[in-house]
Amino acid sequence: MKLTIYHLYPDLLDLYGDRGNVLALAARCRWRGIEVDIRRASLGDPIDFSAADIVFLGGGSDREQSILVEDLSSRGTDLRDGIEDGLVLLTICGGYQLLGQYYQTGEGKKIPGLGILDLYTVAGNKRLIGNVIIELEPELKKNVLDSYASSVEEESAQKLNTLVGFENHSGKTYLGSNLRPLGKVLRGYGNNGEDDEEGVRYKNVFGTYLHGPFLPKNPHIADLLIRLAWERRENVSTVSLLGDNMEIVAHQAIISRFGSNR
Amino acid sequence: MRVRFWLALWTGKIVGLIIKVLGKKGTTFPGVIARKIYPDIIKLLALSFKEGTIIITGTNGKTTTNNLLASVLKTAGLEVAFNREGANMLTGITGALLQFTSFSGKSKADILLLEVDEATVPGLCQQLTPRLAVVTNFFRDQLDRYGELDTTINLVKEALPDDTQLILNADDPLVAQIGIGKEEVYYYGVQSLPSSKKESSETREGRYCAKCGQELTYTLFHYGQLGVYKCPFCGFQRPDPYIEAKDINQGEQGISFWVDREYHIPLIGSYNLYNALAAFCAADRIGIAREDIGRGLQIFISDAGRMEQFTLPGYKLTLTLVKNPTGFDQVIKTLAEIDKPLHLLIAINDLAADGRDISWLWDVDFETLAEKRADIHQLLCSGLRAEDMALRLKYAGFTEDKIIIEKSLAQAVDKLGEYQKMDKDAVFILPTYTALFPLRDILVTKRIPDSRVKGESA
Repeated sequence: MKLTIYHLYPDLLDLYGDRGNVLALAARCRWRGIEVDIRRASLGDPIDFSAADIVFLGGGSDREQSILVEDLSSRGTDLRDGIEDGLVLLTICGGYQLLGQYYQTGEGKKIPGLGILDLYTVAGNKRLIGNVIIELEPELKKNVLDSYASSVEEESAQKLNTLVGFENHSGKTYLGSNLRPLGKVLRGYGNNGEDDEEGVRYKNVFGTYLHGPFLPKNPHIADLLIRLAWERRENVSTVSLLGDNMEIVAHQAIISRFGSNR
Repeated sequence: MRVRFWLALWTGKIVGLIIKVLGKKGTTFPGVIARKIYPDIIKLLALSFKEGTIIITGTNGKTTTNNLLASVLKTAGLEVAFNREGANMLTGITGALLQFTSFSGKSKADILLLEVDEATVPGLCQQLTPRLAVVTNFFRDQLDRYGELDTTINLVKEALPDDTQLILNADDPLVAQIGIGKEEVYYYGVQSLPSSKKESSETREGRYCAKCGQELTYTLFHYGQLGVYKCPFCGFQRPDPYIEAKDINQGEQGISFWVDREYHIPLIGSYNLYNALAAFCAADRIGIAREDIGRGLQIFISDAGRMEQFTLPGYKLTLTLVKNPTGFDQVIKTLAEIDKPLHLLIAINDLAADGRDISWLWDVDFETLAEKRADIHQLLCSGLRAEDMALRLKYAGFTEDKIIIEKSLAQAVDKLGEYQKMDKDAVFILPTYTALFPLRDILVTKRIPDSRVKGESA
């Protein structure tokens, strides 16, 4: 009964409380009696992707991000093999951009990414900042519903149809035609402020611009990640529902305060 | 053009007086008006201070450093003009100048002390050349307003004129790098703190050398990225301080330290020692005698919302501002060590002055608080982001029954008061910036009249 979570470059990609995502995953595993082994790995540290169940990559400042592209590229094959095998990966903001083909700077220079997903990012001339509300993609919504062993009538993580968070990025990300976003922007900018889409989902890989941090106020997604990892490791396809009153109150507070206007 | 200057001065002053008569406070309106009429008004007004201008910038400690320095300069017999807490952008600074200038255009003080918002330093330095510029520290704060920390530091570094003497924190590599290539630089720092460690897992900014990008190595960590650091690659290292504190003792009544003799400040928290050293170093550079520095620091009275104490019927409480992870971590360390029953009200707002993104709460080490103070009596969460605060505490390990959400500040204070307390209980209210002043107003109406003894150390 154990999951191994790799927190990559926690010292470099540590903007905007993103470590809260790892705290949320760990707590929600523990509350279900699943032991967690959190491994922090930075530049040059050994990473055993075959032992990993969930990998987390957060966002950082531009300077710190460029330092690690090279380090991560050297591990690209292992990561790619893991992903094709169903490894669960959550990437936020800068980490999300890194998965793509390239990041094009304001001067038109293309900095190569890991090239794992068919997406690219172009530097924008204004920062996209603010609270965000996303309506879940139908497929993702179905995955959330199917993640739980039981179904209850009252408000629960299972019933959430939205994502909430706070975005702060100048890069504009565009998905290739075969990739699906996490959902539709109801408030905020999302991937690029143009196509009303936010984030990406490919197999068990999730990318998003949402800080907040992302998982504590979106417990249904935290549970989905745990379920997918648990399924891959132990062949158990559901997790139990938790008492998520406080999570749902925090989630709904964002929707009632920011949901009425764009 | 001169006519417009006088028009700006008089209009600004009259508007200021009217606002004062109407009993409004904290408005930047006079400054806005005066700058509309004569945009370069700061330039002319600042010229009339015969001892010049000292600016204080950095993430944390601007207000306290400014007030400590004012206390020292007043002790030395100088008339001091300064801007009000938080009025640290160009309109607020203009407002302060209007207030300290007579209708005839003469200054009412010898020296001008300005706490300056980091992003305002370039605009201000186009108007005046400071005699001294003090930089306290750089931490992540209100990133959504300025973009990233590196940008802020470069903004400040490039704006400071060559003729300005720099007073820099030697122990913060992000601040010390500003001195690279500059001539008139005076550093302050500590030899070591009682809490200094050989290793650290705290939130830390700028782990990489500003000169060459290699990771800095530390022989000692004080807190955050402050410590004794060195770049193994290019040799950039903690500079030798001009003012260095040794033999530091922290007690409940304040901190004592040694710089050629013993000094004392009636403030707690290591960050306040740095604020005192910044003020010390600046005062020394404008020729203030050590006796006056010692006395000025010793008699300092803590200002609004910085470990400010209130006596309410039946109990005492402490109000202290929290605005970023490093500052909050310092407060948590203090709370963890208090050996008394604890009650806590945390009020988190997300307005522009607080920073609209509250995800920084997840960089605060509430885990330590949950571990050391599982015995806490009350954990009230208030403000516009009360729910986020509550959720953070749940994941830090507090049991849900201890966490109470009460969005109204007034009702949260009432709930804090209703709980049965012993006289010795420790009660703390920790608000972000825009929650501080409404809370202060509530507490002022509730406190026992005349309970605040002048000179009482906070």
